[in-house]
Amino acid sequence: MLRMQNLNKVYRTHMIETHALRGFEIHVKQGEFVTVTGPSGSGKTSFLNIAGLLEEFTDGEYILDGVNVRGMDDNARSRLRNEKLGFIFQGFNLIPDLSLFDNVDVPLRYRGYNSAERRERIEDALAKVGLASRMKHYPAELSGGQQQRVAIARALAGSPKLLLADEPTGNLDTQMARGVMELLEDINAQGTTILMVTHDPELALRSQRNVHIIDGQVSDLVHKGPTLASSPAKAGSNTATA
Amino acid sequence: MFQYYFLLGLRSLRRNPALTALMVLTLAIGVAASISTLTILHVMSGNPLPHKNDRMFVPLVDNGSLSGYTPGNESGDKQLSYRDAVNFQNSKIGERRSVMYGVGGAIEPARKDIGAFSSQGLAAYRDFFPMFETPFLYGQPWSAADDAAGTDVIVLSRKLAEKLYGDSNPVGQRITLMGFQFQITGVLDKWDPVPRIHRIIGSGAFGSEDSYFIPFTSAIRHQTAHNGSMSCSGNREPGFQGTLDSECTWMQFWFEMASDGQRAELQNYLDSYAQEQRKLGRLKRAAPNRLFSIDEWLVHLRVVGNDNKLSAWLAFGFLALCLVNTIGLLLAKFSVRASEVGIRRALGASRSDIFRQFFIETTVIGLAGGVLGLLLSFGALALIGMQSKQLTVAAHMDWVMLAMTFVLSVAAAILAGLLPTWRACQVTPAIQLKSQ
Repeated sequence: MLRMQNLNKVYRTHMIETHALRGFEIHVKQGEFVTVTGPSGSGKTSFLNIAGLLEEFTDGEYILDGVNVRGMDDNARSRLRNEKLGFIFQGFNLIPDLSLFDNVDVPLRYRGYNSAERRERIEDALAKVGLASRMKHYPAELSGGQQQRVAIARALAGSPKLLLADEPTGNLDTQMARGVMELLEDINAQGTTILMVTHDPELALRSQRNVHIIDGQVSDLVHKGPTLASSPAKAGSNTATA
Repeated sequence: MFQYYFLLGLRSLRRNPALTALMVLTLAIGVAASISTLTILHVMSGNPLPHKNDRMFVPLVDNGSLSGYTPGNESGDKQLSYRDAVNFQNSKIGERRSVMYGVGGAIEPARKDIGAFSSQGLAAYRDFFPMFETPFLYGQPWSAADDAAGTDVIVLSRKLAEKLYGDSNPVGQRITLMGFQFQITGVLDKWDPVPRIHRIIGSGAFGSEDSYFIPFTSAIRHQTAHNGSMSCSGNREPGFQGTLDSECTWMQFWFEMASDGQRAELQNYLDSYAQEQRKLGRLKRAAPNRLFSIDEWLVHLRVVGNDNKLSAWLAFGFLALCLVNTIGLLLAKFSVRASEVGIRRALGASRSDIFRQFFIETTVIGLAGGVLGLLLSFGALALIGMQSKQLTVAAHMDWVMLAMTFVLSVAAAILAGLLPTWRACQVTPAIQLKSQ
């Protein structure tokens, strides 16, 4: 589903070069639920942004669902992002002056679906997260947990192959966080690959595989889930593979 | 997607009403200032017969004396002598032609309840009516035979006909003008060309309409004095005949050629005529003989004054200032939308999608500014119209200027929105999404 090989990301200013990712290697298979942990500044977010085609990398290879993204122009990257990826953020990132229906509608508009298909997908997605009855409501009228469910519905509406979640429970209390996590597990059980950045070790333990990043390199792998294949990576290696 | 972006644009107007109102108002004021002055210019410089521009011409020959003449200097004279005008009339050149001069005289109504009053009119040939496409409410122009014989016949303006005869058709009746009985052959319908190209010299491009039209030959036969300006560079014998025999210029002339592209033919005629008159010892100066199309005539007579042009430039300068303000307001409006841009980018919008969305949003602002600008323009034109009679005639918006208001407003909004829209497209989604 996702493969990065010898990938580097360097942020440059006129004075300083910062290596966010160095020789980064990871391979995530279709249907996996992978958590990414690591201390602040380790490169988790850079990795997720590059994986989500929100940032370009300096060099290396990145293959997303069989497509080499190197050198793609903005239109092609945007189309790929729209078709293959779903995003869930810590801050929910709903558009406040759009109703839940219209928020979920946003990625479908860019996909070019017709009105009937968009409506069906929006209603299905909101029904999946238990908010079908509130589609006319606005984000401010919902709790944090409900807003995150809308964000999940929005991410799911386009049937993405890979769901990227950046600390999706970070702004939620324990009970709400558990609910969101269960929802993500259900989604994964239905075949969607999930890559989730988290600071919460408990959530990391619930995933099938945990990738630990330090100083822009994969430093540790924990394989637990049944979907993982053999060839466990060695501790200290900068390669995460399944 | 256009409909989606348009609806987002409308929704965005409500997002920050105070900022939106300020932006729309700024744009509307700038547009109203520009459009109102532009309307004045447009009407003043308008050509009421644009389809005849390349086949209707005013001829001018320089019949001034040699005293004080410097070869190469252009004559300031804009009219013709009686002799040149009559020669042109008899030339058979072109499809239509008419000499004309303003006349004034007392009208004595048959009705006892209306006393005698003076009124201005025009002496011309019957060709005048089809040449200037005057609409007839009743009857028709007088005949060519009337022109030849100098018959006392008359065409009334609708206003004068209604004043004297109410709603009834007066064709065939007689009216006393300057002490002579004229038979009415026709009544014009409302005819108000702006500018009045046939009367720029005399009653002015925006002056009041003529109340009646009589044959030129009849006016000459009755020795009807002209009502307008006259320029004499030589001696003149006393009396009306003296004026006719003099080189004084007081008549205007229009040729209408059968088709476009016959200007050269007319110019050849004019040059041959002038050469012949020089041989006869009449025309003394070796000055060029000039022809003016309608547009050229309007420019030559400076129908649009420099002060009008200056006003327009100032108004556009004001619009530029308004645009700068609008750019600032749009930058403020769009900068708070950076997070939305980040979200949309993450969900699959390309930079060009974002550009289209914000471009259409600025167009919506431009349309709103256009609607308000149009209302303000009407108000501004009403105020301008109060300043003088000439401006009252010119301060009217037509469909062209109405459309122009929206085009200018939308163009101004798009221009103002280019920088803010470009900046919105440069938003780095990763940074915006993390900072939420």
